[in-house]
Amino acid sequence: MDPRHEYARTMTRRHFFGRTGMGLGAAALASLLPPAPASAATATTGGLAGLPHFAPQAKRAIFLFMAGGPSQMDLLDYKPKMEARYDQDLPDSIRRGQRLTTMTSGQSRFPIAPSMYRFQQHGESGAWVSELLPYTARMVDDLAIVRSVHTEAINHDPGITYLCTGSQLPGRPSLGAWLSYGLGSANQDLPAFVVMTATWTGRAEAQALYNRLWGAGFFPSKHQGVALRSQGDPVLFLSNPPGVTGADRRRMLDTLARLNEQTYQTFADPETQARIAQYEMAFRMQTSVPELTDISGEPDYILDRYGPDVHKPGTFAASCLLARRMAERDVRFVQIFHRGWDQHGNIAGDLPNQCRDVDQPCWALIQDLKQRGLLDDTLVIWGGEFGRTIYCQGTLTRENYGRDHHPRCFPVWLAGGGVRPGIVYGETDDFCYNITENPVHIHDLNATILHCLGIDHRRFSHRFQGLDIRLTGVEPQHPVLDILRSA
Amino acid sequence: MGMIRTWLLALLAVGFFVAPGRLAAGAEAGVDFQHQIRPLLSDRCFACHGPDEAERYGGFRMDQIESALGRAASGRTPIVAGDRGASEVYRRLTAEEEHVRMPPASINKPLSAEEIEAIGQWIDEGAVWEEHWSFVAPVRPEMPVVEGAEWVRNEIDHFILARLEREGLEPQAEADRATLIRRVAFDLTGLPPTLEEVDAFLADDSPDAYERLVDRLLERHHFGEHQARFWLDAARYGDTHGLHLDNFREMWPYRDWVVEAFNRNLPYDQFTIEQLAGDLLPDPTRDQLIATGFNRAHVTTNEGGSITEEVLMRNVVDRVVTTGTVFMALTMDCTRCHDHKYDPLTAQDFYSLYAFFNSLDGDPMDGNRKDPAPVVSVWTDSQQEELADLRSSIESLEADIARRVAEYEYAEPEEAVSEAVVAPEERVWIDDHLPPGARPEGEWRFVGEPVFRGERSWQVTAEGRDQVLFTGASDPLQMAEGDVWFVHVYLDPEDPPRQLMLQWNAGSWEHRAFWGGDYIDWGQLGTPSRREMGPLPTGGEWVRLEVPAQHVGLAAGARVHGWAFTQFGGTAYWDAAGLVTTAGRQPVYRSLAKWWSDQRAGGGEGLPEPLLAWAQREGDTLSEDEQRRVRDHFIENAYAGAREELAPLHQQLHDAEQRIQQMESSAATTLVFRERAEPRPAHILERGEYDQVGREVPRATPAMLPPMPDDAPTNRLGLAQWLVEPAHPLTARVAVNRFWQQVFGTGLVKTADDFGSQGERPSHPQLLDWLAVEFRESGWDVKGLYKQLVMSATYRQASRIDPRAGQRDPENRLLARGPRFRLDAEMLRDQALSVSGLLVDQPGGPSVKPPQPDGLWFAVGYSGSNTVRFQADQGSDKVHRRTLYTFIKRTAPPPQLSTFDAPSREACTVRRDRTNTPQQALLLMNDPQYVEAARGLAERTLREAGASAAARAGYLFRLCTARWPSDAELAELVALYGDHRDVFQESPQAAEQLLAVGELPADFPAEAPEAAAWILVANMVLNLDEVVTKN
Repeated sequence: MDPRHEYARTMTRRHFFGRTGMGLGAAALASLLPPAPASAATATTGGLAGLPHFAPQAKRAIFLFMAGGPSQMDLLDYKPKMEARYDQDLPDSIRRGQRLTTMTSGQSRFPIAPSMYRFQQHGESGAWVSELLPYTARMVDDLAIVRSVHTEAINHDPGITYLCTGSQLPGRPSLGAWLSYGLGSANQDLPAFVVMTATWTGRAEAQALYNRLWGAGFFPSKHQGVALRSQGDPVLFLSNPPGVTGADRRRMLDTLARLNEQTYQTFADPETQARIAQYEMAFRMQTSVPELTDISGEPDYILDRYGPDVHKPGTFAASCLLARRMAERDVRFVQIFHRGWDQHGNIAGDLPNQCRDVDQPCWALIQDLKQRGLLDDTLVIWGGEFGRTIYCQGTLTRENYGRDHHPRCFPVWLAGGGVRPGIVYGETDDFCYNITENPVHIHDLNATILHCLGIDHRRFSHRFQGLDIRLTGVEPQHPVLDILRSA
Repeated sequence: MGMIRTWLLALLAVGFFVAPGRLAAGAEAGVDFQHQIRPLLSDRCFACHGPDEAERYGGFRMDQIESALGRAASGRTPIVAGDRGASEVYRRLTAEEEHVRMPPASINKPLSAEEIEAIGQWIDEGAVWEEHWSFVAPVRPEMPVVEGAEWVRNEIDHFILARLEREGLEPQAEADRATLIRRVAFDLTGLPPTLEEVDAFLADDSPDAYERLVDRLLERHHFGEHQARFWLDAARYGDTHGLHLDNFREMWPYRDWVVEAFNRNLPYDQFTIEQLAGDLLPDPTRDQLIATGFNRAHVTTNEGGSITEEVLMRNVVDRVVTTGTVFMALTMDCTRCHDHKYDPLTAQDFYSLYAFFNSLDGDPMDGNRKDPAPVVSVWTDSQQEELADLRSSIESLEADIARRVAEYEYAEPEEAVSEAVVAPEERVWIDDHLPPGARPEGEWRFVGEPVFRGERSWQVTAEGRDQVLFTGASDPLQMAEGDVWFVHVYLDPEDPPRQLMLQWNAGSWEHRAFWGGDYIDWGQLGTPSRREMGPLPTGGEWVRLEVPAQHVGLAAGARVHGWAFTQFGGTAYWDAAGLVTTAGRQPVYRSLAKWWSDQRAGGGEGLPEPLLAWAQREGDTLSEDEQRRVRDHFIENAYAGAREELAPLHQQLHDAEQRIQQMESSAATTLVFRERAEPRPAHILERGEYDQVGREVPRATPAMLPPMPDDAPTNRLGLAQWLVEPAHPLTARVAVNRFWQQVFGTGLVKTADDFGSQGERPSHPQLLDWLAVEFRESGWDVKGLYKQLVMSATYRQASRIDPRAGQRDPENRLLARGPRFRLDAEMLRDQALSVSGLLVDQPGGPSVKPPQPDGLWFAVGYSGSNTVRFQADQGSDKVHRRTLYTFIKRTAPPPQLSTFDAPSREACTVRRDRTNTPQQALLLMNDPQYVEAARGLAERTLREAGASAAARAGYLFRLCTARWPSDAELAELVALYGDHRDVFQESPQAAEQLLAVGELPADFPAEAPEAAAWILVANMVLNLDEVVTKN
């Protein structure tokens, strides 16, 4: 390196640390701190004073989002009595006026479609799991399966927006944005909140996702989820332009920093200092992100654990492996969206594919985290925006059927940081239609996630348009302490 | 780390101590109710002792002093004026026992000792109560007296300086001219000044140089473009529906209307009225209808399974909430489920406003169409010209026909003549355009060569099976006995198809005919669903194909609204397709007498008035004049002898009329508001649920605000007129506050979206009122207001942060310095395009899609959405337009916008955050569009500047900052250039790669390494803090 530059850079750094009296922006300052070692990250930047509210069980979370509404009675909520009711109408006493989507509200009958899949009990917990999820079955003793989650939304857009942002209408910050806002980042070189949208092999026509699902809502946009992409640059505009090397960029940034420093001399605006720091972080990301996404150093036995799809960029398996690598690097919140779970028809054709996409990678992720001792302080959540109806949509046969959306009960499993492993929580009726025990509203679920991360959801609010808005809404909600270790 | 944390906390504490919200406005002795007490009561008390009747405890209200001074349910008196000791409120605030103490621990909002003391003092001082400031109409305040009057340039400065003097702060002198012109150019046009403008301004030492600059800038059409984007955030304008499929929505004429409204300085009251109620104005113009798109711009859905009533409710709620926020800064959304917790607004108020907005004459579901009704068509200039031409040619054709008819020499034949004959007519359905209403599918490629008829044919090139088709023609062809379909085809002799197939849709597509091999297996061979017509026609010439309609199962009476041109492999050109038909044809006659007697016998069916009445008249008597008209009608329409002469004219007339219809159906449309004939009733919806219908409420404005004028109609028009009444306390204040925010970065009321009691108090209440009254009395003159803002000494100050003022007022709310903050997303990109010379400064029209990284839409899009795959536009006139014109897909907005805090336009936004992130740095350094701008900037510099590196560096720098670099800065630039050039000389290939980034090929008057080095210098300059900031 040119000694001139080296000298100038040292001066610049010293200069930053020397200038303490001048309202240097917190972000600038934070980013100037030496990056924490990847393994033992305790340094946190950003976040609210006073958070976490109490000692967290989990330092980070991974949400495996099954978009479309997985069919719970074909996967995790075993309903043997339905077999005898094949093609019988769902009794009105069960439906109890539940509003239906207009896709089936016009149907003349609501014939019961028992699951065509075999269920068995597994593990010490004895949880019933369908044959479609053999790997999930192997790890039931690591999971808390909550069968009694419910919502009010009956359609995808409002439903998924509700679970991800606490409101059915666009405009609110997402769960990850709340975590970034509240807890800040534990990694100097990577974003606090990373999102991946995985490919899928089930239903070809899949429901949409929306950037708002990882959006910042009314928070500053720095809290929005950063999409980690499998095509092109993993993070948008990460690569230097063609023909430009990292050394070129370094050279340019050195001049940039010096000229900006002169601008700071002129205007004394702390934003200028912050900007210098952000450019430095951008430069670090140009190294840290490719390092993150380069899996060539992973041993074969680890790759094999995730299954053959792990070699295809953008698959759920590849995304899960990256999620583990981000957990190692203390990324606060990772969310993987897997689409194609909207089985209005052709369950026999599509559902096995959907399950094959995710089953083994989910298991591998849990094993991998466990092996590294990361499962203890990493919360993993699996679930979708609602469940599906026991009655058939379209033509019912023994071999195939479809199911409409069902908001009154659906399963979510949780594992790791703070969660009591090996339990099954909540009961639904024989028709998998109503909850009979321990209902968990999606706001309760979000309150539980926050709780694991050391946040009292009631005290976690943001003033917007005169209201103190919470992720968990205005009604009283409760974290489900029964499924937590600390309860 | 620990040390730094502590230090940070200390810093935060200092900031807290001096936050300007805490700097008393009145600053006289005693407690300031509006500043100190009301916010406390609002935040800590109103929720349970306030407007919300359902959640009111203790039988008293703290938002109404009469109630607080009266008796609570407990029999005690909450507040005894002048005596805190006797006041139950004070006792409860200071109680030791947790269950007695207020506010309850459960709401998590304890009061500090200082705050309790302030309340005690306020009670002791007599508990003087004032209405919440924003709910009282503004009156023009006295101009404050200031000491430093020489600094003052206009009224604004009096208010600002008075406050600064009270705080013991001094304003700054005027910024240097280069900084000033760049600042004001950005604020008025969203673009940086050109070098010519900078030079002219620097050279102009007349005293009104700045004012004339301001006047010039206000006259640019860029003014409207810049203003519009703020408004479009508020109006949540987007180019897709925003929910579920998130399909394309055609709405850009509304965007252009907003631009134009600002450019012609449409008074803000009229601006308000036209957007809320343009359709209800007497004889509304098309522009006034377009303006009503404001209430249609909200997100919509067509998700399968949605319940219409719920969707309707959500649409209407969005209109109410947006109207509340944009015009009144009221948080109406709170009152959707219950009475407001803090402001005197009730659920009844909400649903009374709802009643104004719930009677749209259209389906609440968007149908996944770009044009869910109601819409209006909008013409471009060239379309308007064509339309005028068509209309005048219709006129002259009609005159020609009338003349020929009049001059026609008709003589009744001597002898009886044969029967009437129905002559078939060849009706061309598709020629240079698709028929009106047609919804095309596949790639309809109209080409100019070869052509059989008119100006264009359409080309289909297939690999395997491929087709173009349309359905939904608004004027379907009705079959009659013996009708024959025809089309002209030209097969590419080099690449002939292996099979041609025609398919007609009369409800289904089961009507097919094919030529050549039987590769396409649709339908059943040998039936009307797949008729074999013979071998392929000869290639290299136009051949007419004919298919009898009955042969493909189209019986008389069938109505065909769609047609498909299908082929297997090869290339074919198609032209002039239609039907030879007798449908709707009147028989022709050789005798007038015979025709007329047939008409009479048939009751005149098919005749226009008044001939119809005459044919039905008792007794066969016609006056001379009537006889003449009957004869003329006969000659023109039914006389066999005149067919040959008149039929071609009729065909031309028909073609022109069809073209007009076709234009009508393919013209750009925009969503508008139109009222149903019968308004829908509105009901209070309990807890905001669409299916919890409570009592009916009539249309009414919120009870706490002044009533609607007596003569105002009880509809949106009356509502809009009410908003701009002088008595309305909010509309003018809210508007001027937003304009202030745009220029100064923060509003006088920081919470530009909330003027209620939970919002922040104005930093300069009197200035806000003065501006509001002035704005209204000026005739709501937006440009006038803007001029006042930027002419003020306050605005023209240098923006250097004085250490003392910086500590006292880090957010610059007191304005002891000029505004300085990062440019918005649009300004950043527009600046890069502008300084690089790439900008295509063409106003209006459909939104454009400059390049963005692949896969952003696909990663989230619904598979069946018509915006699931992003395809960048090509050509400078698309990719180098101002960012205002960039296509916004609301579920995946362009990263160039969202990375810099632009909202997704899913919901109303009246203030943006301004963040500073590494993603922004990556984008500005590496986005190909910004790299291309750097290339353009370098190219331009090499062409326009002197030959030395220093001359070039200085010129480039000045293009971006409006000033010359200092020697030190110049040295840095030159050194950077030298280093990069050395590197690129080592690897010229790398230089070539960099040069290749961009829409157009590079055109440098220099060798590649040199050029590439300048590109990187330009790239660095475009990333400078000074360049991304308004200084």
